[in-house]
Amino acid sequence: METTKTIINYTHRQAGHCESGATSNLFKFNGLEISEPMAFGVGNGLYFSYIPFLKIQFAPMLSFRNLPNTVFKRSTAYMGVDATVIKKIKDPVEAMERLDRNLEKGIPTGCQVGVFQLTFFPPEYRMHYNMHNLVVFGKEGNLYHVSDTVMEFPQVITYDDLLRVRYAKGAFAPQGKMYWINHTIDQPVDLKAAVILGIKKTVHEMIGIPFPLIGVKGLRWLARDIKKWPIKHGNDKASFYLGQILRMAEDFGTGGAGFRYIYGAFLKEAGELFNHHAELLEASDMMGKTANKWREFTYMGARNCKNRSKPEEDYGTLSVKLLEIAADEEKVYQKLKKINF
Amino acid sequence: MGNISDEVKDKSTGDNELIYKYNRELFYHFDKETGFTQEVDYQNPNNQVIIKQSWDAAEQRLNEVKQLVIIGKLSPIAYYMEKILMEVPMLAAYMEISGWRVRRHLKSRVFKKLNQEILARYAAIFGITIEQLTKPDFLG
Repeated sequence: METTKTIINYTHRQAGHCESGATSNLFKFNGLEISEPMAFGVGNGLYFSYIPFLKIQFAPMLSFRNLPNTVFKRSTAYMGVDATVIKKIKDPVEAMERLDRNLEKGIPTGCQVGVFQLTFFPPEYRMHYNMHNLVVFGKEGNLYHVSDTVMEFPQVITYDDLLRVRYAKGAFAPQGKMYWINHTIDQPVDLKAAVILGIKKTVHEMIGIPFPLIGVKGLRWLARDIKKWPIKHGNDKASFYLGQILRMAEDFGTGGAGFRYIYGAFLKEAGELFNHHAELLEASDMMGKTANKWREFTYMGARNCKNRSKPEEDYGTLSVKLLEIAADEEKVYQKLKKINF
Repeated sequence: MGNISDEVKDKSTGDNELIYKYNRELFYHFDKETGFTQEVDYQNPNNQVIIKQSWDAAEQRLNEVKQLVIIGKLSPIAYYMEKILMEVPMLAAYMEISGWRVRRHLKSRVFKKLNQEILARYAAIFGITIEQLTKPDFLG
C-alpha cells in the first residue's frame, strides 16, 4: 500500500450547478475572482432543448443546460485563459495515472463522472446521469479527495470507485474526460469582452438557431406537447413525464428553476461590470421574474403530480404557463440582442 | 425572501415532511427588493415529492418485470437490468456486445442456453453471483 499524500490547498465552495461551480472554483484557485454565475454566463451554461423522440430514463429527453464541458471550455476561451481539456482517454489506468501526475504537480483537476455509482452522492439522485463534474484535489494512499459542488463538504472516494464513475457508460459517457487550468493567471483578463461574447452566443443559442426543438422554440414545442400528454399517454405516464421535467428543472444542481436564477445573477454582475448598465440590469430583473415563474410552474406541476385530478384542465394550465414563460424569456433575449456594448 | 417563502407555503402540496435529508444544496432566489440571493438548504418538499414519484415509478416497473420473469416470459437478466435502472443500450455498452444480443438474452428460452462466461460478465455488472443470476430468490 502506498502512503503518498498530496493534498492541494484548494477551497471547496458549494455551488448551484456542478460544472460552473467547478469552473469558478478552479478560476479562484488560480487567482482570478470569478463567481459561479459569471462562469456560467460567460461559458453559455444556459440552454434549452427538447427532443421528444429520444427517451432517457423512459421519459422524453429534455435539457436545460449545454453539452458537458461547454462552460469550462468557453469561459476559459473567451477570457483567454490557458487551459487544457482531454476529451477522451481510452485506457482507464492511464487516465488515473494522468490524474495522479497532475496532482503531484499541484494542479486541481476537473473530471466528468457518472453519478449512478458515485459513492458519496445523495442516494435519491443516483440515476444514470453522466454529465456531472467534480474536481479532484488530493490523494492519500488509495483515497482521492474530491470537491463536488452539489455536496456541502469535500468528500473522499477510493481509486476503484473513481475509476468506475469516470468510465460510466451510456448517453454522454465521460470516457475519462479531464480538464484543468494550466497555470496561475497573472495577466489581467478582459472580462468585459468575455461577457459580451458570452451573452451574444447565449442569445444566438436561445433564439437564433433555426431548429424548432432548441431554445425558446423548443420551449413552445414542449408547451404544446404537455397539453396532449394525458390524452395521448394516459394519466400515469403523463404524470411521470411531467415529473421528469420538473426534476430536470429543479434537481441535479441547477440552482433552481432550470438555471434561470443563475443566469439572472450573471446579468446583474455583468450590468455592474459595465458601470451599472441600465439595460443589462433591467434584463437581469426580467430574468429573475422569469425564474420565479419557472418555480411557480414546478409547484403547479408538483401539485398536479400529487393529485392527478382533472388532468386535461391541469395540463392545459401548465401549458399556458409554459407559453407565458417562453414569451417572457424571448423578451429578455431580444433585449440582450439589441444592447450596443 | 419574504415573498418567495409565502409563495412556497401557498403552493406547497400540503405535505411538508422532508423525505430526503442526506445533503443540503445551494439554491438561488430572486426577489424585487433583495435581488438575487443564495441559500443552502434541503431540497424543497414539493420537489422531494417529485423525486419520490420517480423512484416509485422505477419500483413499479421493476415489479412488472418481476411478474414477467416469474411467468417465464422474460429472463432474470431483464429483472436485474431493471433493478439497476438500466436500459438495453446501456447494458450492451457495459457488456461490450451489441444491443440486439442483449435483447435476445432477455428471452428466457435464450437465457437458458447462455454459456458461463457471458453469465459471469452479466453477474459482474449486476454485482451478484452466477447462482443469483440464474436462480433469483423470488423464483423460489
